[in-house]
Amino acid sequence: MSEESHEYQVKVDWTHGRVGNLSVEGKPKIQISAPPEFDGTKGIISPEDLFVAAATSCFMTTFVTFTKKMRIDFKSFSCEGHGTLERVEKGFQFTKILLKGKVTVESEDLVPKAERAMELAGKYCLVSNSMKCSTEHENKVVVG
Amino acid sequence: MIKSGSPSGGSEEVSYHTPEDLFVASATICYMNGFLNFLERMHIDSNSFECNAVGILEKIGRSFEITKIEMKAKVVIESEELRSKIERALELAAKYCFVGNSMKCPITHETEVIVE
Repeated sequence: MSEESHEYQVKVDWTHGRVGNLSVEGKPKIQISAPPEFDGTKGIISPEDLFVAAATSCFMTTFVTFTKKMRIDFKSFSCEGHGTLERVEKGFQFTKILLKGKVTVESEDLVPKAERAMELAGKYCLVSNSMKCSTEHENKVVVG
Repeated sequence: MIKSGSPSGGSEEVSYHTPEDLFVASATICYMNGFLNFLERMHIDSNSFECNAVGILEKIGRSFEITKIEMKAKVVIESEELRSKIERALELAAKYCFVGNSMKCPITHETEVIVE
């Protein structure tokens, strides 16, 4: 395996009903379930949540990487991810992910740079690039 | 709360779930949910279900992509006569996994059904 390759290992154990545990070595165990619309338990993280969360968190970490490369600072970053699951020919599939990112910077001159970092983060987000569906971005940079 | 981030090597960050973890986990859990759904429809039970999954991240051109997910599922059942039905439920779960079907990469499934 080359340097340009990495492995990620997870484990899932069913416990009861439609509920199980997700384990990733060295990290807290997470209780997981099907979502309520597919007969799962309310209030427990579902694979659908995690799918959207993977794209949203990848956008964040990639944004941070680009701000470091560009040597710019930002005061805050937040992002809302919305995933759309639709019935297609072969059962359900995610057809769209919308990421609404908001970044706060200290001064006006940082705005275009932060916008560029968000644009690059969208382009190089490895999780989004591993999904079949398109990812749309609504980026907002404010001075605050 | 699930903390997410890319590990920078600092000890306080060791326990963060990365976006890559969440991506691989979403496909694995969806496979479990599909299996449970098909068990119910087929009116059969299993004593346990566990699944180990590995996602491979590789450089494609100028950026990275998850190129493959390998799943290894293990199911324990009560009697031999359930085996073929359980194998069918595993097969259908793999075929109709919403999350897996939303990913570009191929997903392989190795399954083991044990009678105890």
